Amino acid sequence: MEKGYVMRPGENGFERAVGILEMVYKFTENVSDEAVEGAANFVFPELKNTVLGLLELPANRDLEIFFFQRLLELFWEAQRAQSEGKKLIFIPFTFPPELFWAFDSLFPLCTEIVSGAIVNICYGQGERFWDYAMSLGLPDSLCSGNTIGIASLLAGPGLKPDAIVYNTPGSCNPNAKIHAFAADYLGIPQFILEKPVDESPRGREQYYKYLLRFVRELEEWTGEELKEERLREVMQRAYRAVDLYNEYWELKKARPCPVPNIFSMTLLVLRSQMWGREECVEVLQRMVDISKERLRKGEYTAPEEVARIYVSYIYWLFDFYNYFTWMEKKGISILGDILAIHYFPPIDYSSKESMLRAYADIAFDYPMTRQMGGESISLRWVDDICYAVQDLGADACVFGGVHACKHTLGTISFFRRELMKRLGIPTLVLVGDVFDKRQTPMEIFQREVETFVDQVVSRKKAARRRKT
Amino acid sequence: MITMAVSGTTLEIREVYDPYVREWKERGGRVVGYSCVATPVELIEAAGLLPYRIKALGNPRTDLADGEMSLFNCSFCRSCLQLALDGTYDFLDGLIETNGCDHLRAMFENWQHNKNLPFFHYLKVPHFFRDDSLEYFRGELDLLRDHLASHFSAPVEDDALRRSLEDWNQVRERWRELCALRELPEPRVTGSEALALELAGSRMTGKDFAELLSSFIEERKKAPGKKPRARLMLCGPATDEVAWLEEMESMGAVVVADALCFGSRAFMHRPGTGGDPLDELAEGYLTSIFCPRMYKEYGKRRSYILETARRAGVDGAIYLYNKFCDLHGTDSVLVRRDLENSGIPVLVLEKEYSAAADLGRIKTRVQAFLERIGGGV
Repeated sequence: MEKGYVMRPGENGFERAVGILEMVYKFTENVSDEAVEGAANFVFPELKNTVLGLLELPANRDLEIFFFQRLLELFWEAQRAQSEGKKLIFIPFTFPPELFWAFDSLFPLCTEIVSGAIVNICYGQGERFWDYAMSLGLPDSLCSGNTIGIASLLAGPGLKPDAIVYNTPGSCNPNAKIHAFAADYLGIPQFILEKPVDESPRGREQYYKYLLRFVRELEEWTGEELKEERLREVMQRAYRAVDLYNEYWELKKARPCPVPNIFSMTLLVLRSQMWGREECVEVLQRMVDISKERLRKGEYTAPEEVARIYVSYIYWLFDFYNYFTWMEKKGISILGDILAIHYFPPIDYSSKESMLRAYADIAFDYPMTRQMGGESISLRWVDDICYAVQDLGADACVFGGVHACKHTLGTISFFRRELMKRLGIPTLVLVGDVFDKRQTPMEIFQREVETFVDQVVSRKKAARRRKT
Repeated sequence: MITMAVSGTTLEIREVYDPYVREWKERGGRVVGYSCVATPVELIEAAGLLPYRIKALGNPRTDLADGEMSLFNCSFCRSCLQLALDGTYDFLDGLIETNGCDHLRAMFENWQHNKNLPFFHYLKVPHFFRDDSLEYFRGELDLLRDHLASHFSAPVEDDALRRSLEDWNQVRERWRELCALRELPEPRVTGSEALALELAGSRMTGKDFAELLSSFIEERKKAPGKKPRARLMLCGPATDEVAWLEEMESMGAVVVADALCFGSRAFMHRPGTGGDPLDELAEGYLTSIFCPRMYKEYGKRRSYILETARRAGVDGAIYLYNKFCDLHGTDSVLVRRDLENSGIPVLVLEKEYSAAADLGRIKTRVQAFLERIGGGV
């Protein structure tokens, strides 16, 4: 057994990640630079990049410690859930979790958050689980985002869900398929919510009908009726987070961008796993407060903001330090990615039906579900990114393609042309992987982004300045 | 090119726009392309149009398509898109998209962005069968019927639809007879012949296709069969590579059964003709999509594959799919497990569409597999 792969009896990737994450309690607030450096040098290289990515820059240090402590507590809850009589379900990151928090007898754990924890915390970055999936004969074109988490389940021992829930048939085959596969393979129930690729009122109505059926199935399975009062409580909390998200979005518009790059990752985890819980509101409130304070003081990590980048697809998440922190130090502000674009309809809390209607709209227009499950992938995608680029004032886009994502890879040429045609915004196209560094190492990513910013974005900006 | 003798004449499919389609067009007929077996061809035909199933006929070139789609996309879809972009498919008067898989959706979108066909319809097919999804699909067929009728000024009357249903049910009936001939201890029909027939039929009217099958079946009933060295079942997605099957069968095996999209999976349903024809079509189609794009239906696919394999008495099964096909790649793991648990050895092969470079590698593996199951040359 290789160093660092050693696991205690009954442990697997998730348990290992949780065990290591406990070190987050060694940190208190106002941690010094020396303490961060010491911690980074104490751990193995992959974890070092996580520690530095979260803690090196003082602006985000306290927030990330606070956030990871809350995440750890949530993971502990997940581990206890079954012994406390709850059913543990795996959900994909495309499923708004707030609905599940409204069931007292359910505990939703997001597959991609499990993968992310394994990749960013464990020695070997979950590669052993990816390789395990391949050893079963699964195709290497699947998505590491979910396959690593799923494979850690299949490899056993450790955490075993009671059911698997998914909602991406028709919008993302690799995502839906690996979740369905896991349920078939493990012989556990699966619950499905399909979004018709139909944006007409008829399509939306059908989705609402599917949602009601989905809720009914969960109720029958758990023996618990979804209570109106409990749903209201959760949705009200979710909408407090929505207000903060709207503030966060507004703050991104400022130049230089006062929001630390790593908050993009934090927001993603909050939305995929914690939305509807109090901790989510607390973390988001702190994110907004920190960003406001930085705006007030005019703080920015680099001497100047060289480029404002919109990641037109998703971040690569296997090396926080060399992705988020590196760009921030270079003066490249990350304004968001496709997963950061949310559409929250007004909500009417007066009845269970009115709240479920709002939830159906949220889920219908949920990031990626909305675009990749749209009537036209390419048009919906380009429309939404154009909106974000214009609203936030991005200079350029970076498409960090993921080899599993055939929908975007199949339409990226159109997307790039169209973005240039509509807004004159250039897109750097890269192909790699969200969680597997073996696809495209971060050194290559950095080299490409640096060249792109130097040769394309900066020159374009300079030419614009000369003109004016 | 596909060549085979049927009723004393040679059936040739050399090109996408072949004489059958050419003649149809020359007579003033219009042609609508579709790709997925979930598309009810009866509706297209009842509007007086020729349904043409998109195929690439082994075209290995993808340079134009690669400018639109990535190399991580299915090479069959890229190959089809290539034929759209280079003008081969310019004879189409319209196109029906279905949400078969991510690759296919990207192919259709790029097709439409570049060619802007005057008739482009998106038929949204649910990913599971249930009363509520059936109701939705029924509505989708209504929309398709209306769109066909308004665009082509060709109302789709119920009577015409019933006639078309009967014609295509005849095709399905004949196909089952064809399968029975394949499954005989001394098969009268090879797998490559069956695939060639399906390719020919998928650009014909139901009536003509049924006649083609009848003639072929009558001829083969009289012909002697031959005991193969190994009896194989072939599972997988839409492949129209007859040459690949011929290569496999040239090693002494015969593909006596299949679960292919260009194959038996296209003929699973048998819509009734007594009730409302759109109701019959909706239920007939949605209950019979034996494709991994359907969710919570693996058990149904497993039963179908196991039952077919047992009935045909296969010695082994090959699961063949194109690189980057997540749907079939993932399903193949479960299918292999379940077939092998039933005592049927399985070879899973992943390849690029029509890549000559893959052929030698695949042949070596098939050869080794045949030796393993006792059918080696």
